[in-house]
Formats: sequence, structure tokens, C-alpha cells
Amino acid sequence: MYTRQNVWELGGPWADPILWYARGVAAMQARALALPTAWRFYAAIHGLDQGLWQQLGYLSPGEQMPSQPLQTQFWLQCQHGSWFFLPWHRGYLLAFEANIRAVVVQLGGPADWALPYWNYFKPNENPLPPAFGSPDWPDGKGNNPLYIPQRYGPNNDGNVYVDLSQVNLNAMNDPDFSGIPNGDRGFGGIDTGFEHGGQYHGQLEMQPHDQVHGLVGGQDPSPGLPGLMSDPDTAGIDPIFYLHHANIDRLWQIWTQNPPTNADPTDPKWLNGPASIGQRAFSMPMPDGTSWNYTPTQMVNMSALGYTYDDLSAAVPTPQPAQRLLALGAAAAAVNVRPGATTVPTPTNVELVGASQAPLTIQGSQVSTSVKLDPNVRRKVSASLAAAAETAAPDRVFLNLENIRGTKDATRFKVYVSLPQGANAAHYPELLAGDVSLFGVRKASLKDGEHAGQGLTHVLEISDIVDKLHLRNQLDADSLDVRIVPDKPLPAGEQISVGRVSIFRQGA
Amino acid sequence: MLFLTAAAWILLMAGRRGSLALTHCAIAMPASAASFQMLLALNPPVSLATGWALMLATMMLPLLIAPVRHVHNSSFTHRRGRAIALFVAAYAVVWMAAGVMLIALALAIRLIAPESIVPVAVAAALAMLWQFSPLKQRSLNRCHSHRELAAFGRSADIDAVRFGFTHGIWCVCSCWGLMFLPLMISRGHAAAMVAVSAWMFAERLERPMPARWRLRGPSTALRMLVAQVGMKLQLG
Repeated sequence: MYTRQNVWELGGPWADPILWYARGVAAMQARALALPTAWRFYAAIHGLDQGLWQQLGYLSPGEQMPSQPLQTQFWLQCQHGSWFFLPWHRGYLLAFEANIRAVVVQLGGPADWALPYWNYFKPNENPLPPAFGSPDWPDGKGNNPLYIPQRYGPNNDGNVYVDLSQVNLNAMNDPDFSGIPNGDRGFGGIDTGFEHGGQYHGQLEMQPHDQVHGLVGGQDPSPGLPGLMSDPDTAGIDPIFYLHHANIDRLWQIWTQNPPTNADPTDPKWLNGPASIGQRAFSMPMPDGTSWNYTPTQMVNMSALGYTYDDLSAAVPTPQPAQRLLALGAAAAAVNVRPGATTVPTPTNVELVGASQAPLTIQGSQVSTSVKLDPNVRRKVSASLAAAAETAAPDRVFLNLENIRGTKDATRFKVYVSLPQGANAAHYPELLAGDVSLFGVRKASLKDGEHAGQGLTHVLEISDIVDKLHLRNQLDADSLDVRIVPDKPLPAGEQISVGRVSIFRQGA
Repeated sequence: MLFLTAAAWILLMAGRRGSLALTHCAIAMPASAASFQMLLALNPPVSLATGWALMLATMMLPLLIAPVRHVHNSSFTHRRGRAIALFVAAYAVVWMAAGVMLIALALAIRLIAPESIVPVAVAAALAMLWQFSPLKQRSLNRCHSHRELAAFGRSADIDAVRFGFTHGIWCVCSCWGLMFLPLMISRGHAAAMVAVSAWMFAERLERPMPARWRLRGPSTALRMLVAQVGMKLQLG
């Protein structure tokens, strides 16, 4: 059994597991791109944009590429915006880890070497682990294989850390793995086929996964090129990527430890993966030259896969039973809700409540739009909240930022609902709908890309905000204001467009 | 949508009413005003229009599942029927206009070479050439693009119509060659329609990809079919 350990608790910046990781990375980096076990080949399994790689200096014009069959089998596989996000990345990490371990063993290192993980949520562990931030390493000067210059951090100044004010673990409280478009995206994402860069990101994928990518990678302030971690087509080149994903994988395992509420899908379409319906198989090159094809059903049992983590304790406090019902004054109904559940299961009926009437361009330091509400549907929401004591099933309400298009994946912003006119958003944390990171937006905006340039659609649950408005008798309104506040003012020429801002209810 | 498609097929096949298997006089005669009038007499415009509309219903409705779902999900519950109707109507207008040109071309070819296999072969070659072209790929890609829609009042109606038009235009650009083939085939017209329908449905299952010359076929559909058959055999 291999045990993945916390990178900050190995006993020092260059403790053995991280030093062996660096040596393994160096060996893979030394291999030619055309080899399936090369560093850049593995990065291209996650994603590749040849133009971007060339601009960033990771691909030379005319460099020998792998054969077309190898590219077709392995490259451009990462599953994003899909309920395969978690199982695909678990298999990817396992195969990557096996390749590094093979090098470690070959160099005389420990046979039980395992990939460390970066738990940025732990106190004082949110800075980039030091071994990744220095050009030097114990084995040499200026050639640390874990160091890459294209990491710019939250402020694009090279100070790399995870800004804890922009990440959260709310996804861990979502009892449903599978989501639905426009409504609850679920812990693990929505039902899709093979989805390389999909439109709707699941809860865990959006937060903290996307957010950490953008915070670590940032953007080169001068030419505007992304940090490697900020774009799915370059993220796999950065050695910290795999430690970030090990943490996401760990969070999935923790989430499943709260059965029966939190359970992986049992739908054969998920269990058997996209290859079972004739789409691409999840396939990884292994160190012995073979290919390993896998399905999600093989990924659900971590012990059967032969590894574990040194810490699988609950990531967030267990939510109070039916806390939402209590807040809505439905204490009697809350008594009947099973402990551990935030509310009773939500019906899957999703209905439009309101929408903005023009596309929105995000630029400068903030922009606002008004979401006009349909009075009849709004009344339906109010009635469901008022009847929470009898039904124990108040509507859930979701803000949709539809068809977000742009070119800068490192863009991050906060979204507020119903802020008073002219108010300083920072003074109203209770009206914060969520943080959004546009990881994947460039690729999703390409008209001839896999998703025909439809961009990303991010969904934020605003049930708490709507509950507050209802309790203050402020929900009886013609519209709700939505304010978008970029983490940093967007420079002129860096525009992000949102096709429509809408509000959906999910309920009976 | 599938129910409507089935209904259209039944209507089409029942007595072959409105079928667009263009009829022509078997006696070879030079193209002239008289022969044109005879051709029109054999293929009255009303029955041509009816036949083309039925042909569209049978062949195109399955392609509208994804965009109609988009219109449905983007609209208020009470406006869904209206929005879908406007979308489909605008889409149909584009295809009916395209039909005028395609049918006129087919009739002209019949007029010039009534019994020759050459026009059919040329049409098939042209359709094939178009299939492999970057323009075909670009059109297919655009068919996968579902624009955001206004939700309220007149703007919602206009957006539904606009979406129907643009979707229809890209659909015509993508499929005109394939739709032209059954028009050129009198014997086996229905079989050609079935084959072309299946092909068009299958090629929509392919993901958008960079537009360039390439051999393009319904490989995803074939793999899905093989996977389904495999599963059935395993269960059996």
C-alpha cells in the first residue's frame, strides 16, 4: 500500500519523497517529446495547444512529434466540465505516479515512493512548497526540475500562494455526486460523455480546483501569457500540478466517507466510462511500454488501487442538520431531516426565474447587471420558501453566468447578488454568491474547438442569499442586481463577455 | 421530436404521398419549353413543396434535438412552446428556401439528361467533395453552437427566430450536398433518404474540430453501435 503524504509535513523542504520526486521529474523531462513516458508527453495527455507551448518555450518549431496513432490514443484527454473529472484524474495521477516511481526505483530510491499532496487549506500550508519555488536544488544549481518561471501567483508578481479568501470547501457539503445543467452541478459534475473541456464544471472542480489553478498560475503581467497552471493546455507541464490534483483526489475520498448521503454514481454510463458507449477510452502509457485503459468503476475503491493518504479526516465540519430549514423558521420540519443532510433531497426540476436582458462585458474594476425576474416564477419561489415548514423542501436557487467567453484563463472574480447601490462589496460578505476562476475559458471560446466556442457556464448557488431576502421581505422585487468584481481590474483589451446572467430555481 | 419524425415517415410512406421522387418522362427529348412544361405537369409545385416539407420533417427533426433542448431550457416554462415553435419555423423557412434551389437544380438536370446516370454520379461526387472540405467542417462546428437567448417579450421571440435562422443556414451549408442526393434518385428514393438521414444524424455526434480537408465519417456512431451490440451480446 502506497501512502501519499502532505508535502508540508515531510520533515523539510527537500525531504526524501520530494527530492526523489524531483529526480523522477528530471528524468522524464530529459526524454524526447515523442516518447510516451516523457514529461511533456504526459502534460499533453492533459492538454496541448501547440501555439501556446511554442510561445512559452516548451515546444520548438519542427520538433519531432509522436506518431499520429499515439497522439490519438493518449493526448488531449483531460475530463473537465464532466462527471468523469474525478475518476479520469485519479487514473492519470496513478499512471503518472507509476512512471515517476519507476525512475525512482531505477535510481536506487525507495520502492514505496508515492506522490506527495499539497493541502493548501491547512494553516500556514497555503504558500507554494519551497522546493518548487527555488531555481536551485540539492542536486545542482539553477536546474531544479520542480522550479518553473511561469508561476505568477494571485497578484501576478511571482509570490505564489493560495489566497484562502478565494477558496472554499463548500463542495464537500453537496450530497449529490451528479449534477444537472443550470441547477446543482453536483459534487462531481454533470452527466456527459467523453468531455475534454466541458461547459459546466462540477462543485469540487470549480472550487477549489479551478480557483487554485488560477491562483498559482496567474498571468505574466507583461505579454499577458498565462502561468502554466492557469490554462488546462499547459497545466500538466508544471510539477506542482500533480500535487494539487493529489489533494483534489484526497478530497474526493474524504467526501465518499460520509455514506449513504455521499455516494459515487451507480449509473452504468458513469461506471463503465465513455469507451462503453463507443467514445474514447481513458488510456495511459505505463513505464513498461504498455497502455493502461481504465474505467471509473475501477477508480472508486482506493484500497483496491493500492494507495491511501496520510490524512483523510473530515475537511469541513459536518453541516448542522437541516440548517437551512432552521434559518427559514421551519424548525418542526427540520426535526425530521436525517442528521448530516443540509436539507431533504432536491427535486431535479429546473426552471428559469429571471435573466439579464443584454450580454455583459466584464472590464475594469467592476460591472453590474440587472436580472429581471418573472413575477409568476418568483412568486413560486417565495411560496416554496414560505411553505418550508410544511414541505421541508424549499426551492434551491442558482445564479448562472452563461456562455462566458474570453482569452485569459487566469481571470478570477467575485460575484455578489443584491448589493445596495454604490455599496462597497467587501462590506457585504453575506451577499457574496461565490468566486469564479476562468480555468479553461480560452479553449472553450475557440469557435472550432470541441465545444464550438460556447465558452463556460458557471453556476453559483444563491439559496442562502435568496432566503435572507425572503426573510427580510425583499424578494418581492422586479429584478435582482448582480455585481461582478474582478480580483484585479482587467486591463483595457482584456475583455470577458457573459452571454446571459440568469437565475434558475430547482424544486418541485 | 422522435415521435414527430416517426409521424412524418408514416405520412411520407403511406401511399408515398408527397414523396419527392421526381418523376420525369422516360422518352428522351431535348430540353425545351414543352419538355419543361411536361416536367412541371408531372411534378406540380404544390406537391413538390409538400414533398420537400415532409422530407425535411423526416430527415431534419432528429438533428434538432440538441438546439430545441437548448431553447427549452433557456426559456420560461410558459414560453417554451412558443419559443420552440418560432425556432423551428425560422429553421424551416431557411430549408424551404434552400429546397427551391435544390429542387430547381434537380429538375434542370432531369430536363437536360433525363435517363443518364452521369448527373447522379456528378452529384454524388460533389457531395463527397463537400463532405471532406474545411467549409463542411466549419458549418458542422457552427451547428453545435447554441447562442444565448433573451428571456422576455419580443426580444425572446426575436432571439428564437434569429437562432432558428442561423442554425438553419449552417445546417443548409453542412447538409445541402447530402440532401441533394435523394432528389437525384428516383428508384430507391426512400432508401436513399433513410441512408442520408442516418448519416447526417451520425455526423452530428462527432465533436467540432479544426476546419481542414479531411476524410470524415461517422466513426463515433459506428463505435457506439459496436459498443451497444457488444453489450447486448454480453447480456445475452
